[in-house]
Amino acid sequence: MNKVAIVGTGQTKFSKENKNTEKLLFESANNCIRSISNYDSNKIEGVLVSTNDNSKYLGAILSETIGIEPKISHSIEHLCSSGTNAIISAYSYIASGLLDTVLVSGADSATNPGQVLEWDKSRGNFEHPIYWASMLTKSHKRKFQTTEEELAIVSAKNHKQAMDNPFAYSNEPRTISEVMNSKQITDDLRVLDCSRSCSGSSSILLASEEKAKAISDQPIWIIGIGQKTTAASFTKNILEEIKSTRISADLAYKMAKIESKDIDVAEVHDAFSVCELMAISELGIAPKDKSGEFVRDLFNTENRMINPRGGLIGAGHPLGATGISQTIEITNQLQDKSEKRQISNAKTGLIHNMSAAGTSSSIMVLEN
Amino acid sequence: MKFFEKQLEQGVFQICYCKNCNNTIWPPKEICHMCHEKTDWKKSANIGKIIEFSRSESTYFGLIEIDDGIRVLGDISSRSIPEIGQVVKMSVSFNSKPYYSFIVENN
Repeated sequence: MNKVAIVGTGQTKFSKENKNTEKLLFESANNCIRSISNYDSNKIEGVLVSTNDNSKYLGAILSETIGIEPKISHSIEHLCSSGTNAIISAYSYIASGLLDTVLVSGADSATNPGQVLEWDKSRGNFEHPIYWASMLTKSHKRKFQTTEEELAIVSAKNHKQAMDNPFAYSNEPRTISEVMNSKQITDDLRVLDCSRSCSGSSSILLASEEKAKAISDQPIWIIGIGQKTTAASFTKNILEEIKSTRISADLAYKMAKIESKDIDVAEVHDAFSVCELMAISELGIAPKDKSGEFVRDLFNTENRMINPRGGLIGAGHPLGATGISQTIEITNQLQDKSEKRQISNAKTGLIHNMSAAGTSSSIMVLEN
Repeated sequence: MKFFEKQLEQGVFQICYCKNCNNTIWPPKEICHMCHEKTDWKKSANIGKIIEFSRSESTYFGLIEIDDGIRVLGDISSRSIPEIGQVVKMSVSFNSKPYYSFIVENN
């Protein structure tokens, strides 16, 4: 298999206002191409678009808008993890030798579909993600004695970290007490425990080893990939775990020939506060019954190792763009370009992106 | 509307199963994914147990396990705070989406 690297990145600011998906895609794709000095965009051989938007033919539309004629262009949808699924598809095109450079652009508008999976009959009239999140949270509290304060710290930490992310939808700080006193949605979930649907777009350019070395003096290599889908129905989950994440992590670590202790920095899918606690446990970063304590220590010591850009809670969650933004953050960290968010001496980073209550997970390991 | 939804509308939760291998199929489908034979239906016993619950405003809701390990989300009527493992009785309806309602037995 050919080696694959990230050689360019571009983003738009996330916001709560509705925006046109095609325009968002163009803006981040344009920023991505401009991030590479003297790059001839006509050399891009593939264009993949990740989105939950119902618009058709977006791969071709984006290609025409940026003025290129790629060999392959199409869209990829996989709910909240559409972005990493698109990157991994692009990786496969390059690793197989079919293409040598692929632009991956993700975008969604704040009211795009994708939060509710109509197919899932088992959710009854409790379709919205807040209900499965309440089940996971209640179960985590019951099983691991997780406290309301520990859950609030996840949100306070990620909001604080998002203050230094110029692309986050909000740069407002939120104290632990503000999170704990925010509007109660259910007995187990407050509004500040939830990520918000946003408008926004992110783009990334992937290249084969030969092209990467010609394009970039700081290519970031994708060295591990793990993916697993266990179901589509939320109710087939075991509440205390995210099996798809655990399996994906094992696969990614094996491919990268690393262990969880080798991870210097990670973007994890904190769709809700409890998801960050569950994710870091399934990734092997913290024990299941110590995940709350682990995050408290990060917060108290201002260690930004988990979700330095603010995660989904702090930065916002434009579904199709999220996985790509997570990947851009880890890329920037490994290039030592994250400014105030920078983790010192980061060599190995991880991206964890998932869909529909963790019924599907995608994990990538990057290295500089 | 399909059979499952039509039956919900009539207040009946139909369990889809395979007559050949006796596998329960959830969500329902016409062909068994194990042996690929056509599936059939049997009525639910309408009894479940609470796996987990929470509350939205004044309404309890939760994850309930009914026949053959099928799990659904529904509202829970209870005079006191529900308990894990508590037995509940199910009633169902359909109005553009399924509604599963549970009442704590011996409430």
